Amino acid sequence: MIQLSYLDYAAVEGKSWLHRLPAKVKMVGVLFVLFGVVAWRSLPGLLILYLLLVTLFFASRVPRKIFPLTLYPLIFASLFILISGFQLRFILLVFLKVLSGSTGVVLLLATTSYPSIFSVLDKILPSLFVTALFLTYRSMFILLGVLEETQQALHLRGGFQWRSPWRSLINISNAFGHLIIKGIDASEAMYESMLLRGFQGRFHDRGDKERE
Amino acid sequence: MSHIHLPDGVLPIWLWVSGWMVSVLAWIILLRMTEKKDVSRRLPLLGMMAATMVLGASVEILPIAYHVNLTVISGILLGPSLIFMATFIVNVILALFGHGGITVIGLNTLVLSMEGVLGYFLFRLFWKVLKKLTIATFLATFLALALSTFAMIGVVGLGVPHYEELIHQESGTGIFNFELLREKTDHHAMEGTGKEVDLKRFVAVVLPLGCLGWILEGVITCLIIRYIHRLRPDLLRLKSESS
Repeated sequence: MIQLSYLDYAAVEGKSWLHRLPAKVKMVGVLFVLFGVVAWRSLPGLLILYLLLVTLFFASRVPRKIFPLTLYPLIFASLFILISGFQLRFILLVFLKVLSGSTGVVLLLATTSYPSIFSVLDKILPSLFVTALFLTYRSMFILLGVLEETQQALHLRGGFQWRSPWRSLINISNAFGHLIIKGIDASEAMYESMLLRGFQGRFHDRGDKERE
Repeated sequence: MSHIHLPDGVLPIWLWVSGWMVSVLAWIILLRMTEKKDVSRRLPLLGMMAATMVLGASVEILPIAYHVNLTVISGILLGPSLIFMATFIVNVILALFGHGGITVIGLNTLVLSMEGVLGYFLFRLFWKVLKKLTIATFLATFLALALSTFAMIGVVGLGVPHYEELIHQESGTGIFNFELLREKTDHHAMEGTGKEVDLKRFVAVVLPLGCLGWILEGVITCLIIRYIHRLRPDLLRLKSESS
């Protein structure tokens, strides 16, 4: 999750043709990818889809450091394979579906800034939902900052050591407790500043003014 | 462990569509029941707790690939209606990072919010009866996680005929064979092929790992609650009930 800030940086600073494409077009593209993932049961078809997405990933010069993020869901897919009795076809099918879905979504996030994504969502989804989504996303960056500070404090207190698991659990829990309290304090401050700026249940993007 | 870490396209369509429909319906009902002003006021808190859950989900406890959910503690702090909205948001964000498919967001929301809502009510109940913070928190977390894990196994179990169909489907059926409407028609072709889907094997792996996770999360939640109780007891809203 620490990669989140890097992902956001890549989305804002990238200059490829995919970065320049409107968010709406890219989101429709992801919907097509998802439709393919849900509807296709053909291994060659899914393989072509995956290879196409990987090609797009590298062609749009998304930093290679982000690529492992697309492989992360394989950990959980492996658990699901137990159901199948280790059937090779099923394993390949599940893996290709996982990889295509995650690569499509990560590609969207790595080439589109989150205000652009939320701006499109705001037109089709209830504003309350989009506002909550936006605040959560914003809060993640605030908490990442707190987490970085906490990690240093945690390190000074011994951090996580397998030799003393109880002490480590206390350290981790205190860090989460600290994160929650700091988060709640920050949310109260955030609400006050939002009220001062005239918040009335939804955020407005630049497009709102242009539409008016 | 109760989060369904399934990719898109593995669960049958009727199942994930139902999950989405129930989640959206629950969201609408909860919004109608809650005052708009109250929801607006608590949106930053909801966002912050949802972000904490997302960060919690990113901390893998090796070697069992378990991550803390923090759903119960969020349920205790947010209350039953806001925790549902928070888990919905959490699942949307997790799905955007490939942590569970986008189509299973609805089902994941139902399972995870069940954990949060149960955690909230069980915590209040055990606190009322036992008046011991640590025990009440541990029992509430352990039971809420256990029940939601069984719910998750139930959801995965509902898709068994679909997995069998995926396994027995003949290969070499062309590159672009769309099969949105074939689920009900293929069963005759599957007769005599024998069942290879083994849910028991899945349960045999998930339950012991899950049990370890319930204990671990129970202990972590207890320690977090104790920490919060020391510094900000007002957040737990326990005073009015203990007197």
